Amino acid sequence: MGNGSSPSMPATAPDKAAQMPSAIGAKSGRPDPGGANPGIAPLVRIRGLRFSRAAHVVFDGIDVDIPRGRVTAIMGPSGTGKTTLLKLISGQLRPDAGTIEVDGEDVHALGTRALYRLRTRMGMLFQSGALLTELSVFENVAFPLREHARLPESLLRKLVLMKLEAVGLRGAAALMPSELSGGMSRRVALARAVALDPMMIMYDEPFTGQDPISMGVLVSLIRQLNDASRLTSIVVSHDVRETAGIADYIYLIANGQVVCHGTPRDIASERSSWVRQFMDGEPDGPVHFHYPCAPLAEDMLTRARRATRR
Amino acid sequence: MMNALARLGRLGLDSLARLGRAHLLLFGILGGLPSVLLRPRLLIAQIYGIGVLSVLIIVVSGLFVGMVLGLQGYYVLAQFGAAESLGVMVAASLVRELGPVVTALLFAGRAGSALTAEIGLMKATEQLSALEMMAVDPIRRILAPRFLGGFISMPLLAAMFSAVGVLGGYFVGVGLLGVDDGAFWSQMEAKIDFEEDIVNGVVKSVVFGVVVTWIALYEGFDATPTSSGVSQATTRTVVHSALAVLGMDFVLTALMFGD
Amino acid sequence: MAKTRILEILVGTFMAAGFVALFFLAMQVSNLSASAAGDGYSLTARFDNIGSLKTRAPVSMAGVRVGRVESIQYDQDTYQAVVTMRIDEGYDRIPSDTFANIFTAGLLGEQYVGLDPGGSPDYLRDGEQIEHTQSALVLEQMIGQFLFSKAEEVSQ
Repeated sequence: MGNGSSPSMPATAPDKAAQMPSAIGAKSGRPDPGGANPGIAPLVRIRGLRFSRAAHVVFDGIDVDIPRGRVTAIMGPSGTGKTTLLKLISGQLRPDAGTIEVDGEDVHALGTRALYRLRTRMGMLFQSGALLTELSVFENVAFPLREHARLPESLLRKLVLMKLEAVGLRGAAALMPSELSGGMSRRVALARAVALDPMMIMYDEPFTGQDPISMGVLVSLIRQLNDASRLTSIVVSHDVRETAGIADYIYLIANGQVVCHGTPRDIASERSSWVRQFMDGEPDGPVHFHYPCAPLAEDMLTRARRATRR
Repeated sequence: MMNALARLGRLGLDSLARLGRAHLLLFGILGGLPSVLLRPRLLIAQIYGIGVLSVLIIVVSGLFVGMVLGLQGYYVLAQFGAAESLGVMVAASLVRELGPVVTALLFAGRAGSALTAEIGLMKATEQLSALEMMAVDPIRRILAPRFLGGFISMPLLAAMFSAVGVLGGYFVGVGLLGVDDGAFWSQMEAKIDFEEDIVNGVVKSVVFGVVVTWIALYEGFDATPTSSGVSQATTRTVVHSALAVLGMDFVLTALMFGD
Repeated sequence: MAKTRILEILVGTFMAAGFVALFFLAMQVSNLSASAAGDGYSLTARFDNIGSLKTRAPVSMAGVRVGRVESIQYDQDTYQAVVTMRIDEGYDRIPSDTFANIFTAGLLGEQYVGLDPGGSPDYLRDGEQIEHTQSALVLEQMIGQFLFSKAEEVSQ
């Protein structure tokens, strides 16, 4: 399937570093999986990924490695295409250039059947939970099992209840999704995502809009699931504190580039002003509060002129 | 000037692209139909949602349409001393035209818009993406059963509409206006032809059912995944379905009854 | 479980009601019950002019429908219309010297074939031809003749 050869574009890597918002330290070039997880090939290997929507360039040649068995966080400001990255990894979107390999298979070279087989080994937790509203909680968790495995009803029931127990919602099995709170439906969705015992789970903004308690529950669940079932987790988020708390490795993405990556400790000691602004949440810095535009006075003058002309 | 031309060209290309996407979706759905037949439960749920829930509006509308036809027809026919032909008139207009067409319009408003809204919301709430991530093809699992449900429900609904309409016309004509009971039925039976009228009417309603369900599913599947996008898609479903049904009706009528 | 059962029953009722409606339309409203399709035997007749006779028009004897017009062709050699009729199975005693007319139901109504039985002891069999025919009365011709004769009366 996958040819295994990573496209070599060493010439561009330094250029990219030069385009960064600021000069960045040693860990800014090519990903260095050895640093995170020596000796094991990464589960997801992204090389030279380019993707654009209409005129807007979302990714301009990024390289990312997701190490096996770890929680990797992909962070960045809103609108940097973090969710898009997950959709690219899962083959729901097609890149303009570059390759994405998952477990040695080039995702976008696979046929539909093979891609679907690969997806049964990937779980994804959507921002909204994305439970099927017409089915009960039990049936939602049972859904992937019913679709992909012919199990006797009694075994299926046991499996589903175990998965629900793992997220602490066995008691809610009979409820409909509309009766759940946001945090609960995310946990049900998590139970559904692990129903087929995948090799990896992708979390799309798991902490957004959660109260502190359900946030804490989710954080510990992600960590527990990862360690207990030897999963690989990818967490996409802009909630700096929670994410940095559970991640083993962090990628910071902005303006279509990987700005910086490393362990949470590396990132914390990173001096670049852009990284500091993002991690510490300062309102102004290299990233400006204002959307790029002409000076205010100029804008108002032209408006006034146009108005008088009318 | 160039700008307007460019916009016109873009509009044309967009329309062609939409047409292409709609057909690709249709092929996908048709490819998924065999798998639906293996899981009749999915189909039953859809026939319920699309067909059973539409019965009330169809039956009530059919009754009233038939009664109005009885009333209007009687006044016109009585002028020529041909009130006995009332049954023929009511039945012919219902079976040939009003049954399939009005049912299709009501079907678009009742079931089509619901389908679009459902699919659109599933898209907006990432349920369709979630299905794809669970390695389940939403076209096979979600769209195909609904398509088949519409395909089966629509002709049955149209038949109910026509049958109830004939009874409504009978009630008004014979019950209230005093047309002869025997003449009402015998004239009807003599003049309404099984192949020419009934079968063609059923063919029409099958075609309308396919077209309306297809439009509804396409609009939902192609909707912008926001609340305004879904509401626009729902409106488009009703408008496009109505136009498609009336246009197709003309073509089909010309083909079937033309000679 | 009970819920799915109710659902199934409702859908079953719906399907049954739909088919009952179709059956009602087929049997009660249309002529399906009257036309035993394909059965019976066929006879032909040649007319000089069939007026506006259509296929599937009734064929009747003594006012009772005994069959239908199956096809209408034009014979280029004799310049006549060849009408093929399908007679229902039960009516197998139509004398060979039967007379076929094209009548109009009512003043402006539909045209149909009326069979006037002769006195022959032989009966027509499948594929045979009715020799004695009378063409349709074409209204325009009748009115034309009527006006012409009136005009002659006036001028005399």
